[in-house]
Amino acid sequence: MNAHEPDPDAARLPDAALLSPSPEILATAVTGEDSSLADQQQEKKAATPRGVSLKRLRRDRRAMVCLGIIVLFVLITLCGPLIYQHVGNVYNSPLNGPLSPDSYHSFTHQELNRTDEGPSAQYWLGTDALGRDLLARLMQGMLISLSVSVIVEIVDLALGITIGVLAGYYGGGIDQFLARFTDIIFAFSGLLFVILLTGIFGTQADVTLGKLPLIGANGNARLLLVSFALAFTTWPTMARYVRGQTLQLKQQQFIEAARTMGTSDFRVIIRHIIPNLFSIVIVASTLNMVHTIIGEAGISLLGLGVQPPGSSIGLMISDGMTYLSTHPWEALLPSAVLAIIVLVFSFLGDGLRDAFDPRSKD
Amino acid sequence: MFQFLLKRLIGLIFVIIGVTFITAIMGYFAPGDPIRVMLGDHPDKVLELQLRHSYGLDLPWYQQYGNFLTHLVRFDFGLSFRYQNRSVWDILKEGIPISAELSLWALLLQILIGVPLGILCAIKANSWLDTLNMGTALVIYALPVFVLAVLCQLFIIWLDKTTGISWPNSQWGRPWYYSWTDLQYKLAPILIYAAAGMAYFARISRTSMLEILYQDYIRTARAKGLSERTVIYRHGLRNALIPLATVIGLSIRFLVTGAFFIEYIFSIPGIARITLDAITNLDYPVIQATTVILAVGVVIGNLISDLLYTAIDPRIKAE
Repeated sequence: MNAHEPDPDAARLPDAALLSPSPEILATAVTGEDSSLADQQQEKKAATPRGVSLKRLRRDRRAMVCLGIIVLFVLITLCGPLIYQHVGNVYNSPLNGPLSPDSYHSFTHQELNRTDEGPSAQYWLGTDALGRDLLARLMQGMLISLSVSVIVEIVDLALGITIGVLAGYYGGGIDQFLARFTDIIFAFSGLLFVILLTGIFGTQADVTLGKLPLIGANGNARLLLVSFALAFTTWPTMARYVRGQTLQLKQQQFIEAARTMGTSDFRVIIRHIIPNLFSIVIVASTLNMVHTIIGEAGISLLGLGVQPPGSSIGLMISDGMTYLSTHPWEALLPSAVLAIIVLVFSFLGDGLRDAFDPRSKD
Repeated sequence: MFQFLLKRLIGLIFVIIGVTFITAIMGYFAPGDPIRVMLGDHPDKVLELQLRHSYGLDLPWYQQYGNFLTHLVRFDFGLSFRYQNRSVWDILKEGIPISAELSLWALLLQILIGVPLGILCAIKANSWLDTLNMGTALVIYALPVFVLAVLCQLFIIWLDKTTGISWPNSQWGRPWYYSWTDLQYKLAPILIYAAAGMAYFARISRTSMLEILYQDYIRTARAKGLSERTVIYRHGLRNALIPLATVIGLSIRFLVTGAFFIEYIFSIPGIARITLDAITNLDYPVIQATTVILAVGVVIGNLISDLLYTAIDPRIKAE
């Protein structure tokens, strides 16, 4: 962690050793943990707080299993379709003539005489009411969840950290702005704002953003709008966390020392404050991804997100809901996958929180 | 206390202005012209101008917004775009009691089931009961409400097929009536709606109670020779409930988001369902009205939980 390395400015002073805090003090300062709690062995070789926390995380079996599952899901999402589209024989469709796997294993292809099938060698997870491959649609839906949560997280981190640090460090106007803005966003509780924005501007976004290459195709154009709306509602939470942590850090001695030596505000923020936000930011953003994934799926379920022929987990649930009594599998499958994704992310988030911030529970 | 209330009221007004402003801006830039939609394929120029004038749409945006605010004070949300001879209030009137009933029961269940469960788990900490309950609570709290709702419907359908009882899995009975058929309609949505909150309350009250049970005054009470019952219910429970007051505000926010999915999936004609219909039809006055109502509900919920907090815990002075 950068803040613990002796500052180049500090190194020139004779009593720099006194000024730069020892790792143990910082362990207390950053993770809020007593050094007695810290791992004894780790303390011998100058342990960084992050190292201690990571070690604690590695010992958390549930979190590590969850991390493994997440990695597996990401691999399936990114590589799955590439492999799946090359597996299988040529299928002589009575309706569409001979088809290679890369067309009947694509998420948009409708094989209208093979509707509502159970899992088979050709369709590994079966087909939906329009004869589309459920596995292919599921992988596409996971890709949508993944990309939306990554986009939202980038915006969330950029805005949340910038505004949060500025509000915590300088206070004043920007702090007031953050507080008021958060009040308003919180009054649009939960998904209300996202529902409003996507509902009102959705069709327009389909038309204007639909022309964009790559993201515009397959009814995914609205996702940009969904991501923007989700990011717009989540960043105040991140900013509030960051602001709180910055306020705490600001009063600590190493910041005071840096400022006494004439380090500029900009440098203090970049070198001393932001690196120390790592623990709180990583926990908040993991838990935030859960909300984003649920949010996107929910919006698509209400019919305001991904439009057919595109696929999203929410859209799949919504499609399946029509056939609950005849083909429960079609709704159960995406629901179960979403449940697993959400649980795995929350448990990882909980594990991260326990590892990086052991004192705060619930 | 008075100052605190005043401050919060000013905050409330500020939030309402912010919320209405954002919705008004969205409405102003919304694609599509509601008047053109009303007139259909053969617009009549004079009629169009008349209609535009009667809705106040010929005014610049700041005047439209000003009008909206002044009418809001009188709880007058104007006329619907979609149903030309109905006022917005007339449309909402049907949904509000249903949504209110749904969320009131959900909130009650959350507290009445969640809190005792959490306390029980804290008293029997680390027993199988505790582990089972907290494990379930963790999963239920993490799962999105619509997944729970779909799973619940699947269960009802499965039950229907295997046992032959015809339990309804959508629609709502008559609001505020509790005959057997009404109850059948209401039971599943309310339970699912309350589930996440129940789990949340259970977890919070368990943590809070556990913390209290390790306090010195609990040890003192035990040392005095008080019965375990008195120690837990008189000395422990009262103090454990304090942090829960703040959580109620948060759970109202959950309820608002949940309403959209519950009312959509179970086809309940409540206010969230009306909002969704209004969004698909771009019935802007209705959207604006429901947004304001929901936002005010959330803010008032937060205010109530703050007041509760100061009322329960004398150490906290309202600031």
